[in-house]
Amino acid sequence: MTGLIIKSIIIGLLGGGAIAAGAARMFHSPESQAMGAFRTLGELNACKGDPIAHFSFGLGFFFNAAAAAVATGALTQDVLHRIVPNFAAGALLLKNKSVEETLYDPSKMIVTGAAAGAVVVTFLNTLASVIPEQLSIIAKEILSPAASLMINPVMPIIFWLAALDAGKKTGVWATILGGTGQMIMGNAVPGLVLGILIGQSIEEKGFNKSVKVMLGIIIALFVIIAYFRGFFAKLGL
Amino acid sequence: METTNNNMKSALLANKTFPLLMALACAAIFAGTHLYITYGTGAFNEIFVVQMLDEGLTGGDYAAAAGFATGFLLARILEGPLVGILDIGGSLMTGVGIGIPAMMLAAGITAPLDNFAFSLVTGAGIGIALGLLIIGVRKAMPEGLSASGTDVMMGAGNKTGRFLGPLIIISAIQYSIPAGIGAFIGAALAYRKDRPIAGGAILGAMLLAGVFAFM
Repeated sequence: MTGLIIKSIIIGLLGGGAIAAGAARMFHSPESQAMGAFRTLGELNACKGDPIAHFSFGLGFFFNAAAAAVATGALTQDVLHRIVPNFAAGALLLKNKSVEETLYDPSKMIVTGAAAGAVVVTFLNTLASVIPEQLSIIAKEILSPAASLMINPVMPIIFWLAALDAGKKTGVWATILGGTGQMIMGNAVPGLVLGILIGQSIEEKGFNKSVKVMLGIIIALFVIIAYFRGFFAKLGL
Repeated sequence: METTNNNMKSALLANKTFPLLMALACAAIFAGTHLYITYGTGAFNEIFVVQMLDEGLTGGDYAAAAGFATGFLLARILEGPLVGILDIGGSLMTGVGIGIPAMMLAAGITAPLDNFAFSLVTGAGIGIALGLLIIGVRKAMPEGLSASGTDVMMGAGNKTGRFLGPLIIISAIQYSIPAGIGAFIGAALAYRKDRPIAGGAILGAMLLAGVFAFM
């Protein structure tokens, strides 16, 4: 337990600080390469520098993260996407209402972000580990079939339909690479994702050099994966 | 004091420090996966993505996790420099947190994930490499690739999350009647309160099934 707590504090400090500083950089993008997400930027703006709004927005996702952590040990992406940036911003805005001097300043966000990260990650991990084992077994047994249905076939279908709706070229490339992916890797999603990228690039910019390089990398990747998964052996080669 | 603070601020806004921030973030996320493998909690990702890694941990087949997550990593690394904001969900949490560990474990490399200090160092190394790569792509900027493919993926990615709620309810009903009743009541309550129904469904199922199990 002490090991888990110490490790959680270290992870929270590092991750929380870096992500909060990356979020502050979003307000200086594209000059500064930032890390975060467009939805995080939108949500931080929507709170309009009101500390209570930032705290309550983060808290809403905190409960959801706690439920997921207790049930499966997955903290959800919201810890770094939403909870840490909003808590870090809220803590700074309590003292100073000017967002330019607080939320937009990575040297301040890195400090409160590290603190928020350490507290949130440690709390979620200790909470998850005190749950009786019997309960987490129930959760696992319910979630495993749901998650495996999700991975196959629900996700491939969603990505496939999205590709088909994105135009003829995208649909064709995604279908070919998706089918190959399903055959070689047992899952179509990676192939579909790559097919969408290739297809959209061809649709907008034509079959240029970058597309050819990208396609070469993809084919090489597929061949390597096929080799290591014994796909060629299955064909009798 | 004011000048040192301003120096710090401009230093942290410079593109030179981007790989350093990436190193810190990746160290934390990669070590989070170490926590998950060792203690069963701490992975920085959604339930169904972590479950993909779990399939590999229990069954030995890492293909789904490795393929899915590295596909996202590749796509996001291309998109990040193009738009100026790197999406940490697809690139770091899914790519570095799930995809790279899955590839390592599939190849039989377990040391970076078994040892906490080693996992921090490995994560930091990956982060610096990716950070330099992104700054490099920013300078070279491949004009030939389109960033609009990521919109299609993002739309599909966001839709997948919605499917989990109903799938959990169906699965809970197959598990046992109390779990099933708990799941759909929990989901209905969560929906009423504008919360994601997956969380309500799991908590409801655990609660009611747990009460029956302990009785």
